[in-house]
Amino acid sequence: MNRKKGDKGFESPRPYKTTHQVVCINNINFQRKSVVGFVELTIFPTVANLNRIKLNSKQCRIYRVRVNDLEAAFIYNDPTLEVCHNESKQRNLNYFSNAYAAAVSAVDPDAGNGELCIKVPSELWKHVDELKVLKIHINFSLDQPKGGLHFVVPSIEGSMAERGAHVFSCGYQNSTRFWFPCVDSYSELCTWKLEFTVDAAMVAVSNGDLVETVYTHDMRKKTFHYMLTIPTAASNISLAIGPFEILVDPYMHEVTHFCLPQLLPLLKHTTSYLHEVFEFYEEILTCRYPYSCFKTVFIDEAYVEVAAYASMSIFSTNLLHSAMIIDETPLTRRCLAQSLAQQFFGCFISRMSWSDEWVLKGISGYIYGLWMKKTFGVNEYRHWIKEELDKIVAYELKTGGVLLHPIFGGGKEKDNPASHLHFSIKHPHTLSWEYYTMFQCKAHLVMRLIENRISMEFMLQVFNKLLSLASTASSQKFQSHMWSQMLVSTSGFLKSISNVSGKDIQPLIKQWFFRDQSGVVKFYGSFAFNRKRNVLELEIKQDYTSPGTQKYVGPLKVTVQELDGSFNHTLQIEENSLKHDIPCHSKSRRCRNKKKKIPLMNGEEVDMDLSAMDADSPLLWIRIDPDMSVLRKVEFEQADFMWQYQLRYERDVVAQQESILALEKFPTPASRLALTDILDQEQCFYRVRMSACFCLAKIANSMVSTWTGPPAMKSLFTRMFCCKTCPNIVKTNNFLSFQSYFLQKTMPVAMALLRDVHNLCPKEVLTFILDLIKYNDNRKNKFSDNYYRAEMIDALANSVTPAVSVNNEVRTVDNLSPDVRLILEEITRFLNMEKLLPSYRHTITVSCLRAIRVLQKNGHVPSDPALFKSYAEYGHFVDIRIAALEAVVDYTKVDRSYEELQWLLNMIQTDPVPYVRHKILNMLTKNPPFTKNMESPLCNEALVDQLWKLMNSGTSHDWRLRCGAVDLYFTLFGLSRPSCLPLPELGLVLNLKEKKAVLNPTIIPEAVAGNQFSNSQDEEEIDMDTVHDSQAFISHHLNMLERPSTPVCSQYRTLLYHKHFYQEHKKKKKKHKHKHKHKHKHDSRERDKEPLTYHSPAGGRSLRSPSLSD
Amino acid sequence: MADTAASAGAGSSGTRSGSKQSTNPADNYHLARRRTLQVVVSSLLTEAGFESAEKASVETLTEMLQSYISEIGRSAKSYCEHTARTQPTLSDIVVTLVEMGFNVDTLPAYAKRSQRMVITAPPVTNQPVTPKALTAGQNRPHPPHIPSHFPEFPDPHTYIKTPTYREPVSDYQVLREKAASQRRDVERALTRFMAKTGETQSLFKDDVSTFPLIAARPFTIPYLTALLPSELEMQQMEETDSSEQDEQTDTENLPLHISTDDSGAEKENTSVLQQNPSLSGSRNGEENIIDNPYLRPVKKPKIRRKK
Repeated sequence: MNRKKGDKGFESPRPYKTTHQVVCINNINFQRKSVVGFVELTIFPTVANLNRIKLNSKQCRIYRVRVNDLEAAFIYNDPTLEVCHNESKQRNLNYFSNAYAAAVSAVDPDAGNGELCIKVPSELWKHVDELKVLKIHINFSLDQPKGGLHFVVPSIEGSMAERGAHVFSCGYQNSTRFWFPCVDSYSELCTWKLEFTVDAAMVAVSNGDLVETVYTHDMRKKTFHYMLTIPTAASNISLAIGPFEILVDPYMHEVTHFCLPQLLPLLKHTTSYLHEVFEFYEEILTCRYPYSCFKTVFIDEAYVEVAAYASMSIFSTNLLHSAMIIDETPLTRRCLAQSLAQQFFGCFISRMSWSDEWVLKGISGYIYGLWMKKTFGVNEYRHWIKEELDKIVAYELKTGGVLLHPIFGGGKEKDNPASHLHFSIKHPHTLSWEYYTMFQCKAHLVMRLIENRISMEFMLQVFNKLLSLASTASSQKFQSHMWSQMLVSTSGFLKSISNVSGKDIQPLIKQWFFRDQSGVVKFYGSFAFNRKRNVLELEIKQDYTSPGTQKYVGPLKVTVQELDGSFNHTLQIEENSLKHDIPCHSKSRRCRNKKKKIPLMNGEEVDMDLSAMDADSPLLWIRIDPDMSVLRKVEFEQADFMWQYQLRYERDVVAQQESILALEKFPTPASRLALTDILDQEQCFYRVRMSACFCLAKIANSMVSTWTGPPAMKSLFTRMFCCKTCPNIVKTNNFLSFQSYFLQKTMPVAMALLRDVHNLCPKEVLTFILDLIKYNDNRKNKFSDNYYRAEMIDALANSVTPAVSVNNEVRTVDNLSPDVRLILEEITRFLNMEKLLPSYRHTITVSCLRAIRVLQKNGHVPSDPALFKSYAEYGHFVDIRIAALEAVVDYTKVDRSYEELQWLLNMIQTDPVPYVRHKILNMLTKNPPFTKNMESPLCNEALVDQLWKLMNSGTSHDWRLRCGAVDLYFTLFGLSRPSCLPLPELGLVLNLKEKKAVLNPTIIPEAVAGNQFSNSQDEEEIDMDTVHDSQAFISHHLNMLERPSTPVCSQYRTLLYHKHFYQEHKKKKKKHKHKHKHKHKHDSRERDKEPLTYHSPAGGRSLRSPSLSD
Repeated sequence: MADTAASAGAGSSGTRSGSKQSTNPADNYHLARRRTLQVVVSSLLTEAGFESAEKASVETLTEMLQSYISEIGRSAKSYCEHTARTQPTLSDIVVTLVEMGFNVDTLPAYAKRSQRMVITAPPVTNQPVTPKALTAGQNRPHPPHIPSHFPEFPDPHTYIKTPTYREPVSDYQVLREKAASQRRDVERALTRFMAKTGETQSLFKDDVSTFPLIAARPFTIPYLTALLPSELEMQQMEETDSSEQDEQTDTENLPLHISTDDSGAEKENTSVLQQNPSLSGSRNGEENIIDNPYLRPVKKPKIRRKK
């Protein structure tokens, strides 16, 4: 028991501790896609009566388990394989989500559970009572793994190495259990010995130091021996095997890069920058990179673009690029930097539990942000922060709050902390992918808020403290029990913040972590200027009743630009105070009628033409929360000329972008002039200029009747990018200045959005774009123009307007309009040229496919998915496939095609690339063929069954995919039982096999629908019970080994039914009220109607007299 | 005599072409020659006492005479060239005649016979001008080391260069226009050709030919075509990127970096690690001492070791 003292608060949920693990894979067969090996765990029991050891293992076939060389009995049971076992007609998502959460936590290592339960042989019990070491040796094999390990085997002639066949580990969160038995938790650290025997032509890359490589006796294979002496969680163990080309980093010899054959030149260029990222992180963290080596592996068919594991990162091969590619370079560098940040926080420093995940994601995201600031500049950084903020705001307003700390402050386990969501957030594996992305986004934004509060210096000190504690701990032997120092926890993190900074960040924590308040702040601001008092009367309202919002109380910075300068004011936002009086500094404004030097925030003085101003007010513009120190959405009202001043003279890119957005509502010549001036200004941030293009297009369209001169931006473009002597011909490409390159790319795309009075794209614009394409000449350019050309096709697609159709005639070549004919001509030529001279990442094909879909949708070309389906096949580049699949998804929606939907669903199940499968589900969710409130011929029982099967058992090998399927099911049918299903006949189902009767929960919604009380609560409650059942279910099964059983509803008894039901109402009252108010307003309203339409004769009696006849 | 032979030779070819076109001055010239020969034959016949002759036999005799003279000319030319001269001399003719079995000694007497007939000289007709093929530029005079009797240099255009006098288009707009349309035409023709010869897809079911799309064909290794720059681009890149050729993959299995023993390798490794990465830039050139575990040679299995 003395051990726990050393742990300083971290109590392992498991009754033992791992100190060392050996993973040995002695055979990998690429042909059969199989793996054979063994693992050996060295564990110390921490309780005396340990007789069962639970480990994680999925998909693995386990042959033999020995504990200290004694054969041990074991049971393998994985309830997540099939979430809902009983073949009931149960089809509502609430039921599923709860059952799924229960199943996941039934094997959650952080709850002390696991799929594999090993019985300690009775001979060793005495040994265990003395808390002596146990060695568990497990022989296992994997055959055609569907998740965890991904095999890429191109089907061509030659040996596996010649074919470029490779395999790598992948997965979402802790997914190591998919490829070897382990304690698949981020909190169970141990040292590692990894051995992989592979074909002599292959290289096995794994974690830690490569100690040696030894040939096997027949000299045809070699064994790679890795040692990882830094305690590491099993979830951070990875593997990549393939005929990789090896590149030792020329700047840092301990860093090695690997890529697939033939790509070495690209690898060289891509990784040539990495050492700078290293230097940056080591400098700001004042800490050396914790591992003795670092490896980057670039593989095909990647699960995610970037995956960081202990001392190695696995990247998608599609990130590689040559020196000629502009657009991909910053993206790839960002990926590299991201992965490296996660090496420090995420791999080296791990987390105690899932609820501490935000700290790791937050810190790694935050230091990654600092790197961005250093590398790409403050403008880019602020723009990125704004972008991320907008993203999280949009998401939270749509779906409700994102909780950073799912079980903060303890609370009742039973309550679902995020009742507005259709999945449980208590476990990473039940999270929707989109939610998880937003979670990461919010984590780093909140970390930035903390920085705002305590200053960056302290922030970095905290990180340094975490790292130095961890690296001290990592060099200790296991017996000193220091390893838990390498785990970060929310409370520990917050404590060290207050220790280091001495500042109280409680209000901040309260604001952004507490469960009920998760969400963003929505400010509405307006103002009036009181001339007599020379006071600015600012009114700030909040909307905290909509879903996803919360009330903000605390300081709020407001910046007012006056004639005499810029002034910051900090307002205290309190419960009831809406109005704030801000005294103005500028007094008289009689003298300045024309131009005047105005001091700006940054001390700069600029000449402004003040004639547009309101003569009575000294205010130029006002900004609320300019530093984005609250997660908020601000809607502020000020006059158009103020926005224009803000756009022209405010130096902050975020302010400029805000004003561009606001100016869309003011289509006046003055706005036009302001935007054009911005476009023209070379020193203005290029992204601002790019968004000014689109705003200008919108303004031009609103002003179409009064617009004078050539189409917007045309003369500007001509002046910037066309020849002096012949203005209709664009200069030969020279992309040396990236800013003008991006502008040159964007302007035609925005111009194509222009419409004339007939709502058609002006002929002049189309000719202009066609000329750009025609005269495009890249021969003298240092860079590739593939992205530029792709954008030109996007511009063509943007110019397409709906076809004038006469009597729904069939679209033929003959009745094509001449403009479309020209466009089609270009697209055909581009698409065909791609076959002969493919562009980088096939950007042009992607744009062409999108453009063709636009033409189809607008009725110029007959709508037909055949072309897209052929491009969506396996074997095309992944970007092409995704673009084609997007078109098919869109077709499925527009044409309501059952056949295409089936084709897509089939692909979700059978496609070899996990990313594509995930992406199809994602796209179907984003652009669903129908939604729950919609009548659609596609919505039928077979589809419900199919999707149910998909999420219930079809996707058990991939957490991300399963959650994607859940998302889709939610979008299509909502939380309750899909309306297209017939009502079940019976209230109670008798399961003869298991000799028990189960209430058929599907009827409850209808039965109680007349009642004010929500139906779904009841279902939830039923499932809540099953949570407990499943918690107990593993042990339950241990007692009845011979009996196959189901994880859910197993202990459900009819007798309990009534009692349970009433209890439920009492318990849930509070909660469902809340629910009604928010998200499910529509649901319940709709459901109220349901009984009328779908009421079955059985529905009525089901509640009162559950029939037992079957 | 040689002239006669040459002209006779030319005459035979002249008659052949003469049948086609009689207005040609060259043909006229040859016809006149032949007429003279006929006169000669006729006078010889008269001398021999013939009163009349059939036209056919006169023609035959003329032909024979012409052949004979031609043969003399040809042979004489051969003899003269055999002795590296271009102009036949009298001795050449004599040798020729002897060779042909003609008794040369009788010739002076025959020439001075009393009853010989004098024929009027043939009408003066212009020697046909052999059309000079492309007189471009001045023929170069012989350099001093070449004797003047050697043939002249051929026309300079045949061995120096042919200057063309087309005015180059220098107008920027036209140039760009041309380049653009040329490229477009090539691309269009090429893609159309590919589409015609291979499988196609079409956006319109009723009309397959107007907008033919080359059918999408999956690759076995799709990322290679997508990521690797085309050969043309690669060339450009190599020009800019002059970094050293990488040998590391090749040396992977070669014992180039054999370290003496394991511990030594370990030591070196750790020393590398302790260096500040900011200093590592300076080590850039020292490629040879890189100690990376992936570059070390693969060890032979130890026989004794049991696993």
